[in-house]
Amino acid sequence: MTEGAPVALIVDDSPVNRKLLAKHLESLGIEAREAAHGRDALALLRDGASDVAVVLLDIVMPEMDGYETLAAIKADESLRHLPVIMISGVDELQSVIRCLELGAMDYLPKPFDPAILGARVRASLASKRLHDLEVEFAARQAEFLRTIERQKEELSRFLSPQVAALVSSPEGAQLLAGHRRQATALFADLRGFTAFSEAADPEEVLGVLRAYHASMGARIVDHGGTLEHFAGDGMMVFFNDPVLQEDHVARAVRLAVAMRSTFDELAAGWRKRGYQLGLGIGIDTGYATLGRIGFEGRYDYGMVGQAVIVAARLSSAAAAGQILLAPRTHAIVEDLVDSEEVGELQLKGFSRPIAPLNVLRLRSEAMAPGVTPA
Amino acid sequence: MAELPLVDLGVVDALRESVGGDDDFVRELIETYVGEGGDHLTALAHAVASGDAAAAVRPAHTLKSSSASVGAMRLSELCRSIEAATREGRSDGLADQVESVRATWDATLEAFRTEGLAA
Repeated sequence: MTEGAPVALIVDDSPVNRKLLAKHLESLGIEAREAAHGRDALALLRDGASDVAVVLLDIVMPEMDGYETLAAIKADESLRHLPVIMISGVDELQSVIRCLELGAMDYLPKPFDPAILGARVRASLASKRLHDLEVEFAARQAEFLRTIERQKEELSRFLSPQVAALVSSPEGAQLLAGHRRQATALFADLRGFTAFSEAADPEEVLGVLRAYHASMGARIVDHGGTLEHFAGDGMMVFFNDPVLQEDHVARAVRLAVAMRSTFDELAAGWRKRGYQLGLGIGIDTGYATLGRIGFEGRYDYGMVGQAVIVAARLSSAAAAGQILLAPRTHAIVEDLVDSEEVGELQLKGFSRPIAPLNVLRLRSEAMAPGVTPA
Repeated sequence: MAELPLVDLGVVDALRESVGGDDDFVRELIETYVGEGGDHLTALAHAVASGDAAAAVRPAHTLKSSSASVGAMRLSELCRSIEAATREGRSDGLADQVESVRATWDATLEAFRTEGLAA
């Protein structure tokens, strides 16, 4: 028999019937295996190496009859999808109906007609193949989904969680390609870091940066900010993208205040070791272009626009402990914060000076997220 | 009802045709039938000896079926009637019927030999 020919198992206690069926199957290009009763058949099917694709099952047999065998096949998780064709005499139609109800796929009348045998066996083989394909497809799909989940999990370690989610979302491609939207940018960097990094051991510098990144990172996640990047002592966070946040300006301000207080706790420890470090923050809001920025091989999800530049310049200009808001940004959250004027600043690259405001504290009603007016 | 032929040559021809005119195969199949039939007769005799009608159902059924496959129609019909009776639990006259099966079996083998289908 040719390699890869489908295999049928004939279960019949009559050697004459088995021999005749095997002969017919052979002419159809189907390899035949034989069992004299149900018990032998089940042993053969449960052998791990069984390649049987269809079972031809007699009803009246010694040891284990067709009903019992059929029930055992249908009750066995690994065999239940195997098509079973009942072999039946003309006077056994009532029994056949019972077998069809028990899950047999078809029946083969005696005496055997090769054409009917061929048609029924082929139909059963096709249904088995379809089932096998479905199982294989489902397994591949499950594997594929596991891979995607793993990739998502890995991605979320490298990217801000919102960006990782965006990459895997249905509208991801469109959003990554670039879109314009109102968004709020927050920049933070350290005062005194350059002097500190020149004076301290590299290990100490790294230790300080790690503590700073870890605690700021946690605050950013708490407030739903999208971290664009950490670069040494500087970090950029934006809001209202890719996840829409009605209160994006308020969120940025609350984050800034939280960062400042977290930083103060860190800085108290560093001060005891002689490190004089401070945190300066700048915030601005406005229309910006967001999406994939960079080049093949190294892309970031980024925000580009005047608000980004203003926020960056304000964070550079901020003294230790200051949170500077551009005037248009302050106007949006003025009911939420107590702030002070710090005078006009001439920001690099801007023709006119601006008069930013320093956030002193959140007013009590602005402390808890969710009670902020939109 | 006219008695059925011991061997229906029409059935044998149809059988031969269904296996692509393979004479050797037909002879082999009848040889297998001869070997198998002995076992069923033994099982039937045992059922009669122990008065166990239920034990006669399966050998009668299988011999009915194998006989029909090779064209031994008279024997097949006898077995069918034994199967039907024993299924209903009737064992009256079973001994006579089994005796009749044995005689018909011998006659059937003789008929196959006459037709050159059995050694």
